[in-house]
Amino acid sequence: MQMMGMLKIDRVSVTHNKRIAIKEATLNVNEGEIIGFIGADGAGKSSLIHAIAGVIRFEGQITFQNSVYHSPSEAEKLKSQIGLMPQGIGLVLYDLLTVGEHLRFFANIRNITQDDRFNEYKSRLLRMAGLDKFVDRRAGNLSGGMMQKLSLICTLLHRPKLLILDEPTTGVDPLSRIELWKILDQIRRDEGTIVLVSTAYMQEAAQMDRVLLFDSGEIIAQGSAKELIESVREMTYVLTPSANLHSMSTLDTTYSLEPLEAEHISPTLEALFFVNALQKNRLLPPVEITPRDGDSSFASVVMEAIGLTKVFGDFIANEHVDIRLNRGEILGLLGANGAGKTTFIKMLLGLLSIDGGELSLLGKRIETAKDRQALKSSIGYVSQHFALYNDMTVRENLLYFALMHQIPMDTAIKRIARYAAELGFEEYMDAIPTELPLGINQRFSLAAALLHEPVILFLDEPTSGVDAIARAQFWQLLVALKEKWKIAILITTHYMSEAEFCDRIVLMREGQKVADDTIANLYTAHPNAQTFEEIFLEYYR
Amino acid sequence: MIRIFWSIVGKELIGFIRSWQLVLVVLYMFSVEVYIAGSGIEINPRNVAVGYVDGTAGGLSQKILTHLHGPEFLAPRRFNSQSELSRAIFDKEIIVGIVFDEDFEKKWRQNKRAQLDILMDATAASQAYTTLNYLQHIILDISKINIPVDIVTHKLFNQNADNHTFMALTELLSIITMLSIILTAVVFVREKEQGTWDLMLLMPVNPKVIILAKSFSQIIVVMTGIVISLGFVVLGIFNVPVNGSLSAFLLLSFFFVFAGSGIGLFIAAIARDVMQVAQLSIVIMMPLIFLSGAWTPIYAMHPVLQYVSFISPLRYYIEGSESIFYRGTEWIDLWPYFLGVIAVGGVMYWIGFRKIGRLF
Repeated sequence: MQMMGMLKIDRVSVTHNKRIAIKEATLNVNEGEIIGFIGADGAGKSSLIHAIAGVIRFEGQITFQNSVYHSPSEAEKLKSQIGLMPQGIGLVLYDLLTVGEHLRFFANIRNITQDDRFNEYKSRLLRMAGLDKFVDRRAGNLSGGMMQKLSLICTLLHRPKLLILDEPTTGVDPLSRIELWKILDQIRRDEGTIVLVSTAYMQEAAQMDRVLLFDSGEIIAQGSAKELIESVREMTYVLTPSANLHSMSTLDTTYSLEPLEAEHISPTLEALFFVNALQKNRLLPPVEITPRDGDSSFASVVMEAIGLTKVFGDFIANEHVDIRLNRGEILGLLGANGAGKTTFIKMLLGLLSIDGGELSLLGKRIETAKDRQALKSSIGYVSQHFALYNDMTVRENLLYFALMHQIPMDTAIKRIARYAAELGFEEYMDAIPTELPLGINQRFSLAAALLHEPVILFLDEPTSGVDAIARAQFWQLLVALKEKWKIAILITTHYMSEAEFCDRIVLMREGQKVADDTIANLYTAHPNAQTFEEIFLEYYR
Repeated sequence: MIRIFWSIVGKELIGFIRSWQLVLVVLYMFSVEVYIAGSGIEINPRNVAVGYVDGTAGGLSQKILTHLHGPEFLAPRRFNSQSELSRAIFDKEIIVGIVFDEDFEKKWRQNKRAQLDILMDATAASQAYTTLNYLQHIILDISKINIPVDIVTHKLFNQNADNHTFMALTELLSIITMLSIILTAVVFVREKEQGTWDLMLLMPVNPKVIILAKSFSQIIVVMTGIVISLGFVVLGIFNVPVNGSLSAFLLLSFFFVFAGSGIGLFIAAIARDVMQVAQLSIVIMMPLIFLSGAWTPIYAMHPVLQYVSFISPLRYYIEGSESIFYRGTEWIDLWPYFLGVIAVGGVMYWIGFRKIGRLF
């Protein structure tokens, strides 16, 4: 039996347009094992995943359940054993079909006999996903977390023995993530399914049986999370500013290959990325931000919302939410998918009308359309996925934003050059955004949002899908901005580890504010919590 | 304000030129599409396949058949029985079948009522009916009936009665309608698709300026297409006569494109992606074209539809353009068309403008 379920990947390489995406990957997996793929954006995880799923051409050989395949056509005979969930929330779903219709549809295209046994399995899956009460709801009306759970159970309908998931939890809130993992754990125990999963959340990776670290198309380390963490313990120290030239720092940790005169702290899997970068001598320039051209001594309460309410039909998206943004403060807005964060931000931005309550900016109440125009010129906004114009180069995008904000041309050109240098995307100025790595797009979106020197910066999940190093650097930038510019920053994120870098946290649940306090106070109020994730979950119990 | 307006226009034009697939489609529409319509659509019979069954000895029947010659007709094919002929018509080998009865020639000679049976494939309606018309003429000719009237025709405005030039122009006008609607809608909907819609709304710019500038950029694109199509295809290849003023046509086109882009704004307000833009444009555009008189003359329509056609700006545009090209109408006498296009188009642009303005 042990031999039957085994998956053997033997020197698999994938090339995209003559560029090597993954080179000679070799891996053996036993029945019921969960393998985590971690690595930066573009490191080759997705390519290997697609090769194993038999949906793209590859070189090398893959053996699964004693059948060998070298190409997508040879893998065809195994497709009934394989389940693939591609990257992107709700990508395999149809907005207009209900949950129940999805299950019937996927059962039909998989040609599954819909007997009692199947129906029992189906209702078990629905219960596990917590979707049994929503069988008649259309997929388009589900929250992101529910969509991912639905995608997962649709992929599980034909009882695959090999389940392949490409970043199933990116952009999903901690609560739904935990539920998703419960399903996976149950399935692999009941069915002996092999689960291959790529993830951007290191806490998730730490719970898997084995972790593979990808870098530039190669698997550079593999082992249990414990072994991997041990391997970098020696190089992890408490934050030691300007330690030496061969070190890298995040907001609370310094990584160095040479011994430092500092205390060690216990590393997480993220340390692997930093140590790997250090070993390959890919150092990052230190973050430096010059103060803004304009005045930064504005009122200490930048924005205040009192009793903000938004109603869609008979659904109350936001109910009497109070929030205050202070000068020089980073405020984290957290909550599950569908808790009303986006609605709230859109009201603050003036994109949605306010159904109740009042909003004031720098002490002035926002009432008329003219007020809203003024509001827009004091806000900088970085949207999810860093959407910018894909038919213009980085430079043209920035110039366009400057023109729209009526910044004089010479000031604009000077500012763009300065931001490009400080935020580190100088060499990409003439590239089209879609050709650039996500981390670069993130920083240039930030530059676009800062061109008009706003007093408030809104960031809507700016770090989803961005690798650990880029994320750490982004946070250093935000902290520097806060200090030098005295800007108020409102940020939403699903990385609970990032919440710890915020000065204050607002937690939302079902359209209402359930917590508003500093990190330290929250830890005091929840003495049993070890991590911020546990505090978050307590509000949802 | 002016600087912002032109910045947005410039950005949209850059975006248009960089998406080479779209440029190719627009160029194709304005050149090849107009050319195919002008050279491809035939209303006069050409290469019509004729079959016949001849039960007579063949004197009179052959005389009639010799009148059916190229380029209008292929050499008539003989069939042995009516069922064989029917079969051939069913298989689309023959479009018009002629059956000469055994006593056809006898009755003719005796001056009794001779009967000539014609089978037609009415799916090729216009070709078949024009052929029927030909046959009636041939028979009138042969019978030498003495009618004391001579008909002398004077063909006005289109001296060769050439419908190539006419079809090319009509097609150009339809394409202008289609592209002014779709291009304008796509400019807005692409922002929705790329997720830049919120960013656009967040610009501290008057929404009216954004809408005007974005739709104006596409008006420029369509106007450029019109000039290219006029120069190379309509005037270059088909030699459409220009009896009036070209600048009057361009000005009329400009106002009409505004009307089209108003419809585009309306669609952009509803559609979520480019696919929906395509679907909605066809649903809205088809009645506009049907009611415009492009395919059926207005006076031939049902009276109710004749009234409805007053709200199609394309109606005024087509009548106006024909007047300019064929009739050589003076500027001063074009005012009804200008009035129609500007009034109906203005209302359409205003509706579209309001509709999309609500999203800002």
